Amino acid sequence: MDLIHPSSRADVTDAVREANAARRRLLVVGGRRHVDKGNPCEVDAELWTTQLDALVSYEPAEMIAVVEAGMRIGALNRLLADGGQEWPSDAPDDATVGGVIASGASSVRRLKVGALRDTVLETELVTGGGRFVRSGARTVKNVTGYDLHRLVAGSLGTLAIVVQVALKVRPLPQMRRTLLFEGGLELAGSLLRAVPTAAGVLAMSERVELRLEGWREEVDELADEATAVAIPSDVREGGPFPSTKPWDAMPVVAEVAVPPSRLGEVVVGDAWGALAGVGIAWVGLENANGDLQHLRERARAAGGIAPVVRGPGGLGDEAIAAVEVHRRLKDAFDPNGVLAPGRAWIRT
Amino acid sequence: MADVEAARRALEATLGPDEVLSDPLGLRLYARDASMVEGSCALVAFPRTTEDIVSCVRIAAEHGLPIVPRGSGTGLAGGASPVAGALVVVTSKMTRILEVRPADRLAWVEPGVPNLDLATALRAHGFTFAPDPSSQQTSSIGGNVSTNAGGPHCLAYGVTSNHVIALDLVLADGSLVRLGSEGPESAGYDLRAVVVGSEGTLGIVASACVRLTPLQPAVRTTLFDFETVEDCAATVSDIIASGVVPAAVEMMDRGIVVAAEAFAHAGYPTDAAAILIVEVDGSPAAVEAQSRAVEAAARAHRTRAVRIARDEAERALIWKGRKSAFGAVAQIAPHYHLHDCVVPRTKLVEVLAGVYEIASRNELVVTNVFHAGDGNLHPLLSFDRRVPGTLERVLRASEEIVRLCVEAGGALSGEHGIGLEKRDFMPLVFSAEDLSAQACVRSAFDPAGRMNPQKVLPDGARCGDFAMARGDDAARVAADLPEGAWI
Repeated sequence: MDLIHPSSRADVTDAVREANAARRRLLVVGGRRHVDKGNPCEVDAELWTTQLDALVSYEPAEMIAVVEAGMRIGALNRLLADGGQEWPSDAPDDATVGGVIASGASSVRRLKVGALRDTVLETELVTGGGRFVRSGARTVKNVTGYDLHRLVAGSLGTLAIVVQVALKVRPLPQMRRTLLFEGGLELAGSLLRAVPTAAGVLAMSERVELRLEGWREEVDELADEATAVAIPSDVREGGPFPSTKPWDAMPVVAEVAVPPSRLGEVVVGDAWGALAGVGIAWVGLENANGDLQHLRERARAAGGIAPVVRGPGGLGDEAIAAVEVHRRLKDAFDPNGVLAPGRAWIRT
Repeated sequence: MADVEAARRALEATLGPDEVLSDPLGLRLYARDASMVEGSCALVAFPRTTEDIVSCVRIAAEHGLPIVPRGSGTGLAGGASPVAGALVVVTSKMTRILEVRPADRLAWVEPGVPNLDLATALRAHGFTFAPDPSSQQTSSIGGNVSTNAGGPHCLAYGVTSNHVIALDLVLADGSLVRLGSEGPESAGYDLRAVVVGSEGTLGIVASACVRLTPLQPAVRTTLFDFETVEDCAATVSDIIASGVVPAAVEMMDRGIVVAAEAFAHAGYPTDAAAILIVEVDGSPAAVEAQSRAVEAAARAHRTRAVRIARDEAERALIWKGRKSAFGAVAQIAPHYHLHDCVVPRTKLVEVLAGVYEIASRNELVVTNVFHAGDGNLHPLLSFDRRVPGTLERVLRASEEIVRLCVEAGGALSGEHGIGLEKRDFMPLVFSAEDLSAQACVRSAFDPAGRMNPQKVLPDGARCGDFAMARGDDAARVAADLPEGAWI
């Protein structure tokens, strides 16, 4: 496997153009934290973005940070913390910003912070055809043309290589508190109704973790409201959120996405965590064979999907809406199919 | 060659004669939206169902008519002003809220539902639809999707794109597709995200699945007034820098305050240089904590008065003045041209000074009411277009304002869109390559270019140019280009 290690966007453009000339297939790699996501694909070389890790600009009063795609999450978090802010990704410190965006990773705090893709305001890209393109603007609101930056988020490096992004960041909460409850999905539902503005309500097989974030008095007030719906002896204070990830101990982890009320139909075994009110569940499995197939059938029946985010198993064979539109997009942005062919949902 | 007569017969046969307009007055009524751009159309159709929309698209394709989707027609950029010979498909008769599912935090609605009607219906369930454009009494969800509409409260809650999780979309070839899903993620590229804000050029929204936002238990609206515009704008930056993201931060300058007060009688101080409306929400404790920080920022910048809305009636009154401002300016002059550019929040003062200078040099009255928290300016030029030479001065000043915002690092539009009005400004913010890439997105959805042609992208932005990057395939691509194509 060849490695390409560009240190400028011009290097990226050159590398992609050369790949086009030689019909060399590339896998874009950041921190390797999300490489398992996607269908298996054969490539001839890996293009590492990790040397593209510069801070371009950060002005706390704008609540916008502009960074190169290879910046590590840990470095970004430290930088933003100095300004009293955060980019709420929850990805490991050695993941890269570009990897988190390209893989469409979800945050455990999505209930409050929303989908990460919504924080991408501007992107600079090198398309599979070797074109340098910018989309969006460094403003929090912007309706100016077609949002390529939104299209590329979650596309698993199959349309373009993200080289730089402008991110909408948010103030760090004054206070964070995690409460642990004995119970399951049903209790999670009650907690969500009691504190609909929680940062996260994570149900597991035998307990629920409730994350509260905000102003000091607010968090205490919400905690009182939450504990009122549980038996007092069943409530404990926790630390980080989540305190454990039982699914992480399993060889295969699927990230289920279903309408929130259907979560109970898809979780199975005891190595799972489900985000009430959001509809994301991480389910740990022994293997990518029968168990995964069953999980996908249940997810499909509930109107959702279950791509694997760690281990083998790929994305699944879900029907794609507007297949022709997908094909034409792939053809326009990656005409020679050099970017991870087959990795995304559409196998062309 | 378009056959309008055959299209009319087919539409009347399918939708019913009452749902099709072809008389000169009817066509004239739908020849423009709320912008200054006047167009003309061949036919107007009013679908009542998804199947009706599909029929409209198929019939238009069969008889060679371009299609212009339209909601309530409150658009300000000419996105729904039709190009010659078009079939205007008006969704304003599709006004059903199809289902509300609080447990899934979603609702399915037809495209013609007015924004405020949806928000009101959701209140009963303890939720709201967060985007709240000033036109919300009239503007429809389909139109909100088209322009990725904002509104005062998108500072804290985000724009329409963050609140639409799935769309049933009729594509240009008449096929119906569901983009996105009722769950948080879906299979395939995120085409939903591309369609939101695409100004009706990628398809027609037949129904939208919107995200429900929980109503906050407490809300506080406060009115501050300042002796200088600079103090008012600096307060905005300091509020954000203090770690508070209010639900809304709206600024109005003296000119607009005077007009709005005469209309709404909201008790605005008409002698202030500028006023600031700040709304914070959350739990009662969160409201207290945020209010303290906001008030401290305002006092540090010499606010003259702090008026906290005592009850819902007073809060509604304060907002009435703000939301009716664009109507109130009719007192200044019969016509207005409203801008919508976004600048970095820290450049507000500098850009505002520039806007005043441009207006004064072009002998025009300018007033400002805008979403200060987002840096989303709405300079409003008031004029009487019947006075010879005025329109030319307005257009000249408008271009100068747009250039000023772009030079400050801003965007052409924050929430109104590009439409026809700002199309030719696109090269100010995007390279030819960027625009070609955008043209590729458009043609991926609509290869024949039937949907709302001539909008958004300037002449010359073509996907064909982009595909030339194929190198050895270049000759083949070039051969596919229509004769006379711009390269």
